[in-house]
Amino acid sequence: MTKTAELLPGTLDMLILKAVSLKPLHGYGVLVRIRQISGDALEIPQGSLYPALYRLEHHDLIAAAWGQSENNRRAKYYTLTAAGRRRLRDETAGWNRLATAIAAALNTTSEEV
Amino acid sequence: MFKRLRSLFRVLTRRREFEDGMTEELRFHVEQYTDELVRTGMSPGKAARLAQQELGSLTNVKGDCREAFGVHLFDEFRRELSYAARLLRKTPGFTATALLTLAICLGANLTIFAVIDSVLLRPLPFPEPGRLMTIFNTYPKAGVDRDGSSLTNYYERRGHISAFASLAIYGYSTEIIGDPGSTAREQTMRVSPDFFSTLGLGPAIGRTFTDEETTSETDHVAILSDTFWGQRYNADPNVLGKQIRVNSVPRTVIGVLPPTFRFLSADTRLFLPLASRPEDRLPSRRHSGGNVIQMIARLKPDATLAQAQSQIDAQNATLELDDPQAKMIADAGFRSLVVPLHADHVAAIRPTLLLLQAGAMALLLIGAVNLVNLLLVRASSRVKELAVRQALGASRGYLVSEVIVETTLLTIVGGLLGLAVAAGGIHLLRVLGADRLPLGGRIAFDARLAMVGLVAAIIMGIVFAVPIAWFNLRRHLGNTLQSESRGGTSGRTAQRMRHGFIVSQIALAFILLAGAGLLGLSLQRAMAVSPGFQSDHVLTGQILLPWATYPDAARLTFVESLMDNLSHMPGVLSAGVVNNVPFSGHNGKSAATVMGHVRRPGESARGHYSYGVAGDYFRAMGFSLLAGRFLTADDSRRSERVCVVDEDFARYYWPNASAIGQRLWDGSEAAKDAEAFTVVGVVGGAKQAGLTEDEAQGAIYYPYAFRIDDSFFVAVRTSLPPESLGLALQKEVRQIDPDIPVNDLRSMETRITDSLAARRSPALLAGLFSGIALLLTAIGTYGVLSYAVAQRRREIGLRMALGAQPRQIRIQFLSLSLRLLASGTILGVIGAWLTGQAMQAVLFHVQPLNLAILAGAACLIGLVSLAACLLPSQRAARISPMEALTEQ
Repeated sequence: MTKTAELLPGTLDMLILKAVSLKPLHGYGVLVRIRQISGDALEIPQGSLYPALYRLEHHDLIAAAWGQSENNRRAKYYTLTAAGRRRLRDETAGWNRLATAIAAALNTTSEEV
Repeated sequence: MFKRLRSLFRVLTRRREFEDGMTEELRFHVEQYTDELVRTGMSPGKAARLAQQELGSLTNVKGDCREAFGVHLFDEFRRELSYAARLLRKTPGFTATALLTLAICLGANLTIFAVIDSVLLRPLPFPEPGRLMTIFNTYPKAGVDRDGSSLTNYYERRGHISAFASLAIYGYSTEIIGDPGSTAREQTMRVSPDFFSTLGLGPAIGRTFTDEETTSETDHVAILSDTFWGQRYNADPNVLGKQIRVNSVPRTVIGVLPPTFRFLSADTRLFLPLASRPEDRLPSRRHSGGNVIQMIARLKPDATLAQAQSQIDAQNATLELDDPQAKMIADAGFRSLVVPLHADHVAAIRPTLLLLQAGAMALLLIGAVNLVNLLLVRASSRVKELAVRQALGASRGYLVSEVIVETTLLTIVGGLLGLAVAAGGIHLLRVLGADRLPLGGRIAFDARLAMVGLVAAIIMGIVFAVPIAWFNLRRHLGNTLQSESRGGTSGRTAQRMRHGFIVSQIALAFILLAGAGLLGLSLQRAMAVSPGFQSDHVLTGQILLPWATYPDAARLTFVESLMDNLSHMPGVLSAGVVNNVPFSGHNGKSAATVMGHVRRPGESARGHYSYGVAGDYFRAMGFSLLAGRFLTADDSRRSERVCVVDEDFARYYWPNASAIGQRLWDGSEAAKDAEAFTVVGVVGGAKQAGLTEDEAQGAIYYPYAFRIDDSFFVAVRTSLPPESLGLALQKEVRQIDPDIPVNDLRSMETRITDSLAARRSPALLAGLFSGIALLLTAIGTYGVLSYAVAQRRREIGLRMALGAQPRQIRIQFLSLSLRLLASGTILGVIGAWLTGQAMQAVLFHVQPLNLAILAGAACLIGLVSLAACLLPSQRAARISPMEALTEQ
């Protein structure tokens, strides 16, 4: 098993948006999908997943609808809304900028100063 | 933001669905995870446990989810609401008292507010009503404060006052409408062509009048009101062009007004052009307004009232330059005043309404003080409970919101009850004649009032919460928890606050009582004024003869035969005719010139009540004869120029000589000797416009032939109850001409009573308010003292055990209440003095500081609050030391 990383505050929302942007998912699916796309590197605290989903729904970033699961059970599926898509784009760009800047800062060697 | 509110609202309205969905979703999650764990080889039992563990406590997750939607605030609110409701149910006595107090106090305020709203606040139903003005002539030094405007004024000003976008005149009248045999008298208005455009609201169908339609040859057109159109024509859309008979002359219907059209308080059914002859518009007629024609105007958007006023003043000054009467007009203090139409229309009733609202506010304040007091008493019995909860971790914010929820629940329910009281109050006001107030027809219980009531209730709830929350939170926890009594002790501050409340209550009730006393005494003094004639057993009614069928000579014949018929009617002692009876509501003054009278410097021609009388008018009305003789039926037949004046007139012009044989002219200047009237009698002075009319302007009575008007009043003295003669009188008139109805049939006594309505209703309401205030004060005093006794039970028991006599205990409490009473009364006297000053405008022959009223109010308050103290003091004196000391 690879080592899992602690989630940075504020990144859970971004990951959920990303997960449901690929395909409508139910709550458990979101969990599985994040684990999968991060290569099992990120562990979501399950207790905070649902409040986060509800918050995003309340803010109209994702929409929820009841549907059938793979094993024919009733499940609540989340999809990305237009506002959610915009938010995901902004957050991804912001994150990339931040990550690049931090990486650049951390890679600085003494000669470059 | 809006989206989130909508999503919250959606959740709140489908709460069940939300909760069920959440449970199902979480269960699905746990099952899915369990399945996955089982697939990795875990035993089902262990997998389920682990899955549950990873998710954490369901309650917590659900709570977090609810918080994500903001639903939790509502859950908390609901909890507090049901807690508050439970607390209120547990103390039915308190709750009932509080609700009743709120219902009455808020109801009284809302009732008066409904009147103020419709009379003073709500704008007139025209576009940009704030720009509508009225202009009237005033001659204050001649004793004529208000004389309307003249036709000349209108034609001279129209288009010449640049501050006005438009200017119009109108006059009220009544006409006989309909075909022979089915005539009815209807309220009408004669208006100039620009009347509707000035108001900014014209006919819904058809057109308005034109300038060509303002002569008596061309004015055969009419515009209908919406109600008249509906009742008379069944709202027939093809009514335009139809004929309608007005005073026996056919007119063509050219327009119908929209249903919203209502000019001030008038219930006008039919609008006719204000027609006039060219000679009526001459400069010599400029000052002959006579309060018959009124002028309105609309200010231009960028113009101000001051500009309009100065333009009018400037024009008047220019026009007066070549007026032969300029000197006299100037001496009379002539001016044309521009005032806002709405404010002017309600000016007379405004102080009374504001006063009543102030009274209702005082009542509300007394009630509020009572409630806060009761709430404080209640809060202090729960001090310990609150301290325990605080010690256990209840947050201050939570405790405060709990108090707010409780007080607001109370005030909202009280507010709803208050609205019900207001609905009844408005009905009561209608019975008292509120719809006869200017714009009083608009008074109604509507959504606006309900809104005001609810907002006021919520604000009161929050205001009430402040002292209670402060009281709950300020104390030291440790001390409270350690104090042994279950309710906790009441601090000195709380006690002082309660006493302060009682003092302010007594003061407010005192002010209300004194104010009601002043109004009541004014009413009594006004009622005690003699009208100057014998008003009992006199029936009066108005008759309008159309000019078309009744030229001058025919009028005299009509009057003659009416007098003749009436003299043969059983029960009639005497009958007469006059242009205008006293108290008819439209008594105007006109000028007279006395032969040989040299005006003192600065003295102008005076306006006098001038009447034409026929038949046995003076005997019918019961005037007293002071000198000479009355005018009689013979004078109406002869063309001799004689007249009768009243004592005020005689005293003014001939203070040291007999009036008999003196001569005067009808009009503002001396004319030929042959046109002068000789005074043949002096009668007692009479009140003409109202009992409270203070300035005796004097009156002149001419034979009817010399002063023929559109309409006249018939007065009949009878030995029977006057109203019983109404039908018979109507019949007599119809016998002469079936087309002529008798209008405004009222006994003279009813007229006098009606003229006092503007004094009676406020006095009644003020009396009612102060009665309630007294009751509330008694309840408040009783409550506070009972509480003090209960609080100090152990102390009293101890003192009695040590030898104190019951008498001493009783005196202690009685002296406390006497002290409160004394301070309250002193404050009340100061307040009553200030209130009296503010009330001066509505008082009649009563000084603002009337000792008898103050003493009466003090006695009443003293008696009531002492009675309220007696019971608790008695209870204190009867405390048994044994019981008081042993009980927990």
